[in-house]
Amino acid sequence: MSRGFYWKMAASNLRKNSRVYLPYLLTCVLTAAMYYIICSLAGNSGLAELQRGRDVAMTTLNMGIWITGIFAVIFLFYTSSFLMKRRKKEFGLFNILGMEKKHLAKVIFCETFYVAVITLAVGLAVGVLLDKLIFLALLKLLKTEVSLGFQVNIKAIGQTGLLLCLVFLAVYLNSLFQVHLSKPIELLRGGNTGEKEPKGKWILALLGAICLGSGYYLAVITKNPVAALSVFFVAVILVIIGTYLLFMAGSIVFLKVLRKNKNYYYKTKHFISVSSMIFRMKQNAVGLANICILSTMVLVMLTTTVSLYLGIDKTVSGGYPRDIIVSSSNISEEGRDAVLQYTDQMIAQTGLSKENVLDYVYTSFEVIRKEGGFYLDQHYDMSQVNLDHVSELLVISLEDWNRVTGQNQTLEENQVLLYPGSEKWTGSNVKIQDMDFQVKEVLDEFPDNGNMVKNILNTFCLVVRDQDLLLKFQELQQTYYDYYTRPRHYYGFNIDADEETEIALRDLIAENPGKPEGLYSVESRAGGIESGYTLHGGLLFIGIFLGSLFLMATILIIYYKQISEGYEDQRRFEILQKVGMTQKEIRKCIHSQILTVFYLPLVTAALHMMFAFPVISRIMRTAGFTDTKLYLVCTLACLLVFAVLYAMVYSLTARAYYKIVRD
Amino acid sequence: MSILEVNHVKKIYTTRFGGARVQALSNVTFSVEEGEFVAIMGESGSGKTTLLNILAALDTPTSGSVKLNGRELVVMKEKEISAFRRDHLGFVFQDFNLLDNFSVKDNIFLPLVLAGEKHQQMQKKLEPIAQRLGISELLDKFPYEISGGQKQRTAVARALITEPELILADEPTGALDSRAADSLLDLFGQINADGQTILMVTHSVKAASSAGRVLFIKDGEVFHQLYRGRNTSQQLYQKISDTLTMIASGGVIHE
Repeated sequence: MSRGFYWKMAASNLRKNSRVYLPYLLTCVLTAAMYYIICSLAGNSGLAELQRGRDVAMTTLNMGIWITGIFAVIFLFYTSSFLMKRRKKEFGLFNILGMEKKHLAKVIFCETFYVAVITLAVGLAVGVLLDKLIFLALLKLLKTEVSLGFQVNIKAIGQTGLLLCLVFLAVYLNSLFQVHLSKPIELLRGGNTGEKEPKGKWILALLGAICLGSGYYLAVITKNPVAALSVFFVAVILVIIGTYLLFMAGSIVFLKVLRKNKNYYYKTKHFISVSSMIFRMKQNAVGLANICILSTMVLVMLTTTVSLYLGIDKTVSGGYPRDIIVSSSNISEEGRDAVLQYTDQMIAQTGLSKENVLDYVYTSFEVIRKEGGFYLDQHYDMSQVNLDHVSELLVISLEDWNRVTGQNQTLEENQVLLYPGSEKWTGSNVKIQDMDFQVKEVLDEFPDNGNMVKNILNTFCLVVRDQDLLLKFQELQQTYYDYYTRPRHYYGFNIDADEETEIALRDLIAENPGKPEGLYSVESRAGGIESGYTLHGGLLFIGIFLGSLFLMATILIIYYKQISEGYEDQRRFEILQKVGMTQKEIRKCIHSQILTVFYLPLVTAALHMMFAFPVISRIMRTAGFTDTKLYLVCTLACLLVFAVLYAMVYSLTARAYYKIVRD
Repeated sequence: MSILEVNHVKKIYTTRFGGARVQALSNVTFSVEEGEFVAIMGESGSGKTTLLNILAALDTPTSGSVKLNGRELVVMKEKEISAFRRDHLGFVFQDFNLLDNFSVKDNIFLPLVLAGEKHQQMQKKLEPIAQRLGISELLDKFPYEISGGQKQRTAVARALITEPELILADEPTGALDSRAADSLLDLFGQINADGQTILMVTHSVKAASSAGRVLFIKDGEVFHQLYRGRNTSQQLYQKISDTLTMIASGGVIHE
């Protein structure tokens, strides 16, 4: 046989199977394009010129490269093995007509080669064309402008080429393996070997229910934001396991229970649906669970990133109760004066005036709250300590307190004023490690320096008689912890100016030529918002990017499911008609089954989202995001958009299904 | 009294774009009396299957009429036809047409469930039939677990359970080995002896020789018919063979 023969045959095979190969090719092309785009973005020289947030954006993008790459490998491999299964019969026929397995191998090689070439050529072309558009979208999200021309990233092309070559090599080897393993008679029978009825696996179903239930339970009961993060991962894994088990075993057990109920089962409406569903679930459980998990991932990613992005203004403002904050670790009289003097001078120079001034020296550190006081303990074991008891302690001196509040309080040697944050305080004494203080007054207000809102721990504030005690607390930290924080001088104020002036003033103050030794930092609310956009814009970008990738996967899985269902149902359709069902009845019956099968993942995903809601909103508090209402709106909006998309995909692919069934 | 009357049935297939026209049946007329066991024979392409599809109301004739118990099938609507098929006709097919996701019992129940019967009644009807067909032990098995002969018995049970006026069988022995085929034909004989009317389409001489009357179709028309009369199956077998040879050689009948 001449060489050209295999190539011709491969081409005609692809054309013949275009119903399944076209979507596969499309997915390969899009995956290649997306991989190119994300590689090219990460290596974009324009991005490297970004002033702020470059590192964050880079890290996010690099993470995106990895996820996209891994996903591409798994997903393309999965789809191609689905295709091979569909084509077993075809290969069996070739085999019987006299083609040896090595000839088949050649044909498969040619096919894979065609697919690889088309994928790389078209994928890269699409990638290069879309690259700039997407880069501009990214910059828009980051709220920055960088001028750039059209560029083709050679390195990204190389990376994409390498990844896809590896994927297609793996795909090719897998196909060979499948053909090699099979015998012609099996090849011929291919898809329709007698389906055995699945066993009802009670234990697995029960285990699935337990996993899902405990996952949900964990997600709902965890109130502490710090604990929430670690609990979230456990809950996610439990829910994933639970979903798979319930889809695979639970659904079948449920249907079998229905079947046992004779009066329910032997009704025209239920009879065919129930027993067909048992087989449908057997074949589709894994695919449906995949769709469900992918959908949930898309939804979680989109809702959180969108909410964080939209909530930036509010989140940042909470952390910056004042427009400009100057903090320095030089707390001596001279140090403080130098900072105040220079800052005021700069304000005057700019022609602005300050309001809502807060100026004090404070120290703050983590403590564990136990009866009657606060303790530092380096050996505290996360599993033993109730995370609700981990708190923040902020200490200032009486002198500062009186100056800031305009009061004239006095304290004895061992007396303190205490502000219990969001908790209640009842004791008359407070212990800090081995020091004992008498609480002279429990305060119900304390001038906030922004830490209290930003901090997810409850902050207790203490007013002590001497500033020296602040240094004592530093020593205490040095003894018990591996780290310590020095007392800081905090100087914050508002100015009545627009964002640009604010940032300019911030930069001016930061350039203090006579700045004190040690730590000296100047922050502004506008600057915080800006860097918030860089961080969350990058995250949102990756969220949307990966979201669309996963969505594409979901669509393809749904499409292939519909097609394989169609081939299965063709014969059933015929028999039912012969036995006395009208076409309309059959269509109604099959339609309702298909609807159940395909909307089950969507409904489950929505349920997952509902239970994830409390834990995710608590985790977002660690990022300073407290606007639960906004998050709720985002969740509902994302769910709605996703459901509409899902329904569209369903109705499009359902057409392919009905076409097959009617043939 | 005739249970089935087929009058001047004609069927012409037209290809989708109205090009070629193929005449499958040109003019078929015959009738079946209550309690008869009739076999219809013919070569491949003689129009047997087309005829059966028309009798089963799965297909409509181009012209002519088909009456079952005095009711005209040709004018019925799709919905009526389905119910009619379910209530008055039983089917046995060459490839069994069992649903592989139903157990044997559920396959047999299928037409009853579609007709909306109660479970207890179904169960009552099933027991004697299953016993008689020797499939009582198999009721909870699935089609992939049983042999071809057993599958065909299941299909017969499904056809009988609605107590139809007429059983239509399309090459019922076609996919069976000779022993299973023999026992199925015996079974048909017994059912027929109990008064069940059967119409069977086949090109197996063996199968046809177990019938009470054999109709031969050639080129879309009833060409000839043989009555069993007092003949044994063996003798009938010989007569059928002779007739087929003669049809094949294009001869003329002279008895």
